[in-house]
Amino acid sequence: MKLFVVMAALGMMFMLGCSKAEEKKAEEAPKAEAPAAEQAAAPAPAPEMVEITFASDCTWPPMEFLDADKNIVGFSPDLLEAMGKAGNFKPVIQNTAWDGIFAGLAAGKYQAISSSVSITEERKATMDFSDPYFEVKQGVLVQKDSGIATVEDLKGKVIGAQIGTTGYFAAGQIDGAEAKSYDEVGLAVEDLYNGRIDAAICDDAVAYDYALQNEKYKDTLSLAFVLETDQKEYLGFAVQKGDTETVKILNEALAKVKASGEYDTIYAKWFK
Amino acid sequence: MKDNKFVNINVGDGAAIPDKKDRGLFNAWWISLIGGLGIILFLITTKPDPYLDILKFLPDGVLVTFEVTILSIIGALILGLITGLGRISRVRPINLIASTYVEVVRGIPLLVQLFYIYFALGQLFRELPETNFVFIFLKNMPPLVAAVSAMSICYGAYMGEVFRAGIESIDRGQSEASRSLGFNRSQTMRYVILPQAWRTILPPVGNEFIALLKDSSLVSILAVADLLRRGREFASVSFNYFEAYTMVALVYLIITLILSKGVSYMESRLNYYVRD
Repeated sequence: MKLFVVMAALGMMFMLGCSKAEEKKAEEAPKAEAPAAEQAAAPAPAPEMVEITFASDCTWPPMEFLDADKNIVGFSPDLLEAMGKAGNFKPVIQNTAWDGIFAGLAAGKYQAISSSVSITEERKATMDFSDPYFEVKQGVLVQKDSGIATVEDLKGKVIGAQIGTTGYFAAGQIDGAEAKSYDEVGLAVEDLYNGRIDAAICDDAVAYDYALQNEKYKDTLSLAFVLETDQKEYLGFAVQKGDTETVKILNEALAKVKASGEYDTIYAKWFK
Repeated sequence: MKDNKFVNINVGDGAAIPDKKDRGLFNAWWISLIGGLGIILFLITTKPDPYLDILKFLPDGVLVTFEVTILSIIGALILGLITGLGRISRVRPINLIASTYVEVVRGIPLLVQLFYIYFALGQLFRELPETNFVFIFLKNMPPLVAAVSAMSICYGAYMGEVFRAGIESIDRGQSEASRSLGFNRSQTMRYVILPQAWRTILPPVGNEFIALLKDSSLVSILAVADLLRRGREFASVSFNYFEAYTMVALVYLIITLILSKGVSYMESRLNYYVRD
């Protein structure tokens, strides 16, 4: 009986809390709408700031990751902010798991992807890209005493990489090596650190970060070499197939940021 | 059945006898199987481009899923039986250990347990000295072993509860009767209680088997190349998300149906009242 009374009291409190929260919302709603309505009525204001939603898999330091306070930081968030200022749009970054990030774009859950996406021919078939904003190479991480120094040394070894990344595709193309796909690059690096795989492949910037910057890994891991490829690989912002409008906004903004020298400042901040 | 003379003490007082009308072609099982296989056949013949390619990509994943599931079922059954008996044990420490195991494991999601056993313990093992073969094994624990242990430990807790409930469902008079016939406690359990309880236990245990098979998809987080991961790998390269996951769903359905048939066959074997 006692328990029932306590439960009932808790239930009541919960319901009261809910209805109060709803009231508050109801009060706030008209206030929030009012200025928007005024703005619309005002004669020809400055061209309206558009909001562009970007999906970002924030597990890819130093390109995009979460800091200790759960803020999205890194090279590309900084670049997007500068681009937003130059191109008069408001970038909203949405942390999204890599697995399904392209499916989400196709489904229209966000307008663009800013997640160190390499521009590849296969991807171009299903999505459009902005101009390239970064050149990447694929870096091979190994344990320091492994003796792996060239591609030939990887024969018969197990290589980990994040699923659906160019690093994973590269791992699959190395003769005689077994490619293993992980949900996140961090899990592959952890497995490498624990000695369960022989190498991990990811973007060189990320590989540098894990091998040389990370307190936990820097004594054990090292960047063995960077994969040689015939074609240069670039990162771009991916948008839905046929979304020329967003591509135009992004390209113009990117050009402005590069011209003003701001790009180099941001680059220096993250890669020095 | 050689134990019939003991079980028959209770004839007429057992669980409800299932009637036979559910057999034949038009029950849910056949509809699902023919439907699933039909859709797969239809898809691979009309659109072989992604669908047949996906199907060809999956077989080793299916094998891994089978491997994980069957090993985990065996592990979970053993752990479950031990736990179930431990939970009804009158020896206080045994009871306490079994109960604590159930409470703790049941309270932690399987995905977290998988992460913990593989990645968190992996880091701990890393620091162990390579002094004996156990440490060396733990240090190089393959993902499959980690996956099977985590799933066995997790499902062992659930099955322990099923076993306990099944054993407790047998009337007290049964054990009293067998004790007065001169059986000791373990004989009572082996020849009287468990054979009867098994009949009550089997349907929920079969349910756990099927749930376990589907949950085995979680092990793909450890980079174990199971059915789901194979599907994801295909989708990640070709961007055929819809097609790949459709195929993966259908293949899981077919495997689950096969497993459920196996369980219902075992059930019918145990229902000796109506067995043909």
